[in-house]
Amino acid sequence: MRRPDWISGWDAFICIVTLVALVFGLTAFENFGSAFNISQMIAGASERALLVLPMMLLLITRDIDLSVASTLALTSVVLGLLVQSGVALWPAIGLTIIAGAALGAFNGVFVTVVGLPSLVVTLGTMALFRGIGYMALGSGSVNILPQGLLTFGFTNVPGTFVPWTIVPFLVLLPIFAIVLHRTVVGREIFAIGGSPLTALYSGIAVNRIRFGLFVFSGVTCAMAGIVYTARLANARANNAFMMELDVITIAMLGGVSVFGGKGGVVGVVGALSLIALIRNLLGINGVGGDAQSTIIGLLLIGALLAGTFAPGIVARIGAARRGKTGAAAASD
Amino acid sequence: MMRTLMSTVGAFALLASAAQAQDCLTEPGTIGFLPKLDTDPYFQVAREGAQEAADEIGGTVIQAAPSQATAEAQVEFINNLVAQGVDVIAIAGNDANAVAPALQRAAANGVRVISYDSDVAAQARSVFVNQALGSSLAEMMLQSMADMIEEGQFAILSSTPTATNQNAWIAQMEEELANNPDYAGLELVTVVYGEESEQINQQQALALAQTYPDLKGIIVPAGIGLPAAARALEEAGLVGQIQLTGLAPASLIRRYIEEGSVQDIWWNVSDLGYLAYYAAQAIAMCDITGETGETFEAGRLGMYEIGENGEIVLGPAQIVTPENVGEFAF
Repeated sequence: MRRPDWISGWDAFICIVTLVALVFGLTAFENFGSAFNISQMIAGASERALLVLPMMLLLITRDIDLSVASTLALTSVVLGLLVQSGVALWPAIGLTIIAGAALGAFNGVFVTVVGLPSLVVTLGTMALFRGIGYMALGSGSVNILPQGLLTFGFTNVPGTFVPWTIVPFLVLLPIFAIVLHRTVVGREIFAIGGSPLTALYSGIAVNRIRFGLFVFSGVTCAMAGIVYTARLANARANNAFMMELDVITIAMLGGVSVFGGKGGVVGVVGALSLIALIRNLLGINGVGGDAQSTIIGLLLIGALLAGTFAPGIVARIGAARRGKTGAAAASD
Repeated sequence: MMRTLMSTVGAFALLASAAQAQDCLTEPGTIGFLPKLDTDPYFQVAREGAQEAADEIGGTVIQAAPSQATAEAQVEFINNLVAQGVDVIAIAGNDANAVAPALQRAAANGVRVISYDSDVAAQARSVFVNQALGSSLAEMMLQSMADMIEEGQFAILSSTPTATNQNAWIAQMEEELANNPDYAGLELVTVVYGEESEQINQQQALALAQTYPDLKGIIVPAGIGLPAAARALEEAGLVGQIQLTGLAPASLIRRYIEEGSVQDIWWNVSDLGYLAYYAAQAIAMCDITGETGETFEAGRLGMYEIGENGEIVLGPAQIVTPENVGEFAF
């Protein structure tokens, strides 16, 4: 059976490791497989799942958005303030998404029109957006939220163990995967990452696409902001503090190259699940947060090493095997 | 759609009320301690106290906490403790309201909840084991200052201008100074802020000494500030000339306390964990439910009564002096 072209060897590897971790969890720990634990593990990954999608695209085009967690926090504050001032839930959600798009466009303008490196721009807006959140709400929080939002944040899709908070991601994911791997825009995104100049001279509207990706990032962050606010029943400026680093870790582990041009949905979803699984398995066995982070860090380093050296080793084994079969064929 | 959602909430609420009728343990169970931060020495000492209590009456202490002091990180650990099947979660909340839904979900899954050190929303826990009443802390800091300098000028070096607790204490001290004849000889010259930074606290302490040549003491009601101010005064050779008191872990300023130029208002952190463990087991075995006026026995600390709003107060904080500094492990 041939592997489809949108699943790389790395993607397959990460998914197999994830599957092994899942089976191990289910067989080794009886409290892992409970509906409560599985459902809360999924809920806990809801925001990272959303944020990693735009991060992945930006990394593929050789950009980065360090402001994702700060955008999440600021849009969470926006939603909180809107609801507090009496705006009904659905209009408030609409305005929050628009705010997210505006924040993304702000990044996009500096990167594509002014021409500054996205690393620097979003390093700045990472501090700026969270700072605005603190100015708007101080260190306080809005925690009286509409019942509809809280229900979304706390309950599962009826009859299943799937929490509502992961539903936006589940809806977005197939569309995202098809656009990236099966459409012209998707190909153009990879082309930009492969070689921006070649892409430009091939007639691809490089900056328009990059700008669009920053706006997409802002919108997705706003969705994550709404999900976060609902899940923790709390709108405040320190929400999702440092989450951008988790998101970048997931993208890297999922096989997205820092040098651009490489990455796939399957690997990233695999990495997202793997990190959630590992944290959960460690957590239910009483391992604290610092030790968990250490293990995730080792995992990333290990993955980088494997990614760098494995292709060479595989090629060498392949060559050795071909040599052997070639010799066998010759002796026939 | 909305109707299905609402019925789900209904089911959820039902689940919660069903769980409140959960069985009472007949012997001590497993208590999951969830402090604000993993590896924070304060909570490690509290855990030692909890372990001491467990050795006395049986049952198990487990403790796990996030590497970031945020509500989101704590929610994961609440869920982990539920999955591990603990009988009671004892939490020191990073955010009173943001952890409440997860705690209520834990309750719906048959886990009882208490808080210690830092309270969470009252509807999400049965009792709060409080280390000291805030109002008593302000009074004790002022009393300690009066004991040390008897009369003259003193200043306050607080944390930030917006810190809720500190501002309440300062207001209370100002009121005492105005109305209580015991403090008639004391004059509060100014309130400055160390912004929770060691460097700024040091600068402010020295600036106070220069601006007010007759200054005899500084009250520093913030954990970072008091050790920093003590170091700054020591380096400037002002120890003994300016007396310090305030609120900080006694272990960080033990040397200065022993020298007699610094006093401290603090509580026994180990006892806090010890009391929290007894309270958690009393809840698990249905000896108490969290109603005001209920009483339970907490080993060597004696009987405790649940006060207003489900609060159990460890006891009055203590003024740490050269005589008793040895009793404070933290």
